[in-house]
Order: sequence, then structure tokens, then C-alpha cells
Amino acid sequence: MALVSAEPWPENATLYQPLKEDQILLSDCASSLAVQAYLRMCGLPVQVVCRANAEYMSPSGKIPFIHVGNQVVSELGPIVQFTKAKGHSLSDGLDDVQRAEMKAYMELVNNMLLTAELFIQWCDDATAAEISRPRYSSPYSWPLNNILAYQKQWEVRRKMNAIGWGGKTLEQVYEDVSQCCQALSQRLGTQPYFFSKQPTELDALVFGHLFTIITTRLTSGELAERIKGFSNLLSFCRRIEQTYFEDKSSST
Amino acid sequence: MAAALELRCWGGDWGLPSVHSESLVVLAYSKFSGAKLTVCPIDWTWKTITASVPELLCGDAVVQEPAQILHFLRKQRFNADYELTARQGADTMAYIALLEEKLRPALLHTFWVDAENYSNLTRPWFASRSPFPLNFVVPSRQASAALSRILVTKGEAPLHRISEVEGKIYSDAKECLNLLSYRLGKTKYFFGNSPSSLDAFVFGFLAPLFKATLPSSTLQSHLKQLDNLTHFCDNILAVYFSAQNPSLPPPVQETMDANLQKLTQLVNKESNLIEKMDDNLRGSPQHKTHRAESRARVSTVTD
Repeated sequence: MALVSAEPWPENATLYQPLKEDQILLSDCASSLAVQAYLRMCGLPVQVVCRANAEYMSPSGKIPFIHVGNQVVSELGPIVQFTKAKGHSLSDGLDDVQRAEMKAYMELVNNMLLTAELFIQWCDDATAAEISRPRYSSPYSWPLNNILAYQKQWEVRRKMNAIGWGGKTLEQVYEDVSQCCQALSQRLGTQPYFFSKQPTELDALVFGHLFTIITTRLTSGELAERIKGFSNLLSFCRRIEQTYFEDKSSST
Repeated sequence: MAAALELRCWGGDWGLPSVHSESLVVLAYSKFSGAKLTVCPIDWTWKTITASVPELLCGDAVVQEPAQILHFLRKQRFNADYELTARQGADTMAYIALLEEKLRPALLHTFWVDAENYSNLTRPWFASRSPFPLNFVVPSRQASAALSRILVTKGEAPLHRISEVEGKIYSDAKECLNLLSYRLGKTKYFFGNSPSSLDAFVFGFLAPLFKATLPSSTLQSHLKQLDNLTHFCDNILAVYFSAQNPSLPPPVQETMDANLQKLTQLVNKESNLIEKMDDNLRGSPQHKTHRAESRARVSTVTD
């Protein structure tokens, strides 16, 4: 354990995700963007590498995962703990009550936004047939592509049934997303970040999901429209994009 | 008011009105908001296998799931969140999500999957409350539902077994309890001096864990170390569910209505005063001469 924390962050740290143009889906893109935003906020350099079998390379089966030194860590939660062990943390300045709030809001995003993204991708027949299944199985040839796509769809639908979302309609899911965004908008208020001046992992997570939803084309633009109704969330996304993702263009 | 409200839920034991977390949430909320519910326990009936619990019946409407039931009660003007700010409402949503994600899997595991607890406490209790021959079927059905829910939501890949997931869900649950304890601090309820829906949810999830006589539970011992959470549960039980205390503190909506009534009475009194002053003014001498003059003018015109 002591060896892990003693090593500094290497220059060749890589983040793996599915192929950006053809394969990656909304929920995975959102999670990956959240991790990228978090690492940029910490000032840790990382290269983004796209691989068709990223999901299978990941130790937990979830995207994205980072390869640092000889460690492989996946998902935002464990990655935050991993960087904390290396001495980089964004939430050190928070007291206990604020940290409780931050964790609660992160669970809200996972519980509502991520689940809604998965539902829309895989439980809505139109989206699943037109977008999710073709994209998910694009690197593979027949009949493997059909098998993998339907297997993934069956897995996600099983999960939705287990948590009680199986019977929901698309309208109800959009309504849940609106309520979640309203809660986030209330919490953000007029501040630049959720915990006033400094960004935390909550800002990275919210940015990842909202930015991806706004900029991704689905069969229906309703989800993006609902989020665009909250102006402070829109300016929040724009601010983070300009501060952390356009530094290359501004430095020239 | 509206039609009578009837709630179907599991019965009570261990000092609680119901042993089922979700039913407890609804019962607590109804006490906080002043809704009069007729409680129909489904124990010893065939509803143990047919009904999805908790279930609220109001006239023709049937509502399931605690969140939907609370929403329905709010629409019927039983609102315990009346005094919350918008920011506190947002915090409520966030903390409920935290409970669902971090605490619920561990609670399901403690009661339904852990072998010692299940065979010594949960299965005998539910079997004894189900009619023959359902006592063979109901507990095992619930146990397998609980196990599959944990594996599907927390088991990352189909290869993981329950033993590998256990460590993670218990450490998440302990962290969740710590976070709730930090948030509650020294206050009586989560938002000020009157309880709201977040208090109902936290009470519903924590009370069975606190009060059940579990043979082996590290989570229960962890909870018992967090004094403010245990005092929170005991306080709600003493104030709202104690048989010896029939006079409950008035629910929030009623105090709001009472204030509104007082305000309307004041306004009415003021307008009465103004009318009186008006009459006095009309009856006053200066006003009379003014009227006499105008009458005289009119009479001269008609002449």
C-alpha cells in the first residue's frame, strides 16, 4: 500500500473507453467525461485511448477505467479514492456535513440521471433498435454482434426491473430527470460550483452527465430540451468546458 | 374531507408499528402530516403473497411505492414538507437517493441473506405471520428477491458471488450511517424542529435495524454507536407512536391553516373598524351640512 501512494502520477497514465465515433453509448460517454473532467480539475495529465473491447478490459466491467503505473482502476468512485491515496483531492476543504451533502448529491445523479440514461438507451424500443444495439455491436461481425447486443439489453432490463423502473413510461422518466435537474439547479443557485469557489468531484460528475446529454443526438430531443430549461446548469457546463477543456486552444 | 384512507402493510413487532421499512416510511409520514390512516395489516391473510406492500387505498385509487404514496398524500393536502425551502427539498431528494443506493442493499442483506439472521429471526417472523400453506412460500420468495436485487445492482459482473459483494455493501452502509449522523448533528429532526419526509424515510430505514433482535449484525452495532441517530428513532417513536401519548403535536399544515384563519379574522376586524369609521364620518355634523347643501342645490334645480 505504501508503495502505491509513494509513486508520483506518471506521465503515461491512460484512460480507456469504447470507440468514440461508432461504439460508445450515452451513459458510458457521460461516465468517461466525468472522469476526464475530474482528472483535469486535479491537474493530472491523462491520455484518452479508445478501444473496442474497453468494457471487457475493465476490472469491474464498467467504463471508463484508467491505467496508472501498474494499477488499473475503474469508475469515478474508486478513481477518486485512488487519486486521494496519491495525495490529490478536491474535497479536502469540505467539512463533514458538506462532504455528506456532496456524497448524497452524487448518489442522486447516479440514481436518477445514470439510470434514466440506461433506461432510455436500452428499455425504449425505438432508441434501442435505432441507436444502442447497432452502436454497441458495431465492432463485431455477425452473429456475435446480435448476441452481444441482445445480451446487454437483457442485462440492463433485468436491472431496471430489480430497482422498480421496469414499469415506467418514457414520460415518467423524463419527469424524473426534470426533478433531478431542478434539485441540482436549486443546489447550485448562482454559485460558480456546487461548493462555492472550488470544483469537487460532484461538479465533475454533473458536468459529465449534463454535457453529454445536451450534446448527444438521440431519437428524441426531449431529454436535452428538459435540461436546457435550467439556465444556471447550462452556464455551469459552459464554464467548466471553457476552463478545463479548451485550454489547448487558448494557450496558442 | 376526502374518502377514507386505508393502508395495507405488514404488522408490527419489536416496539415498532411495522417491521417493514417501506410501510414504516408511510406510517411515519402520515403521523407527521396529520393524515388519518386506517391501518390494515396483511398478516395472516392471503394478501401476504398477492399484495405489493405498502399499498394505499383511497376510494377507487390504489397507490403503491412509498414515494408515490407520499406524493398522493401531499396532493390531498397532507403535507409535512410545507415549511421546507426549495434548497431543503433538493437536499431531501439527494439524501433519499443516498439511502436507496448505499443503505438498502446492506439492510436487505442483513435481514434476508445473512444465514444466521434469516433462519433465526426473519423467516420465523414472516412465516408465523402468513397463513398455511403460504408460510412455506412467502419468506423464501422475499429472500430470493432480496438476493437477486443485491446481485443485480451491486454485483458488477455475473461472475461475482454474494460473498465478494458483501464487504463492499457493508462498508458503503457504514459510511452512509456516518454521513447521516454528521448531517443530523445535534438537531431533533433533519430540517429544524418539525419532521418532514426525509425524517420519515430515515426513520423507516433505520428503525427496523435498530430495534430488531438480530443474532449477528455488525451494522446494527455500528448504528448503536451513533447516538444521535438512535435518539432520533426513539424520539419519533415516543412522540408519534406511543399509545400513552394521544395528544400529538399539531401537524405543520394545520398550524399554517390556523395562522391563515387568524390572519383572515384580523383582516375582517380591520374592515369592520373601517366601515364603522365610515359610518361615523357620514353621520358627523360637518358631513350633514355638506349633504344639506347638495340637497338644497338639487331642490333649487328641480324647482
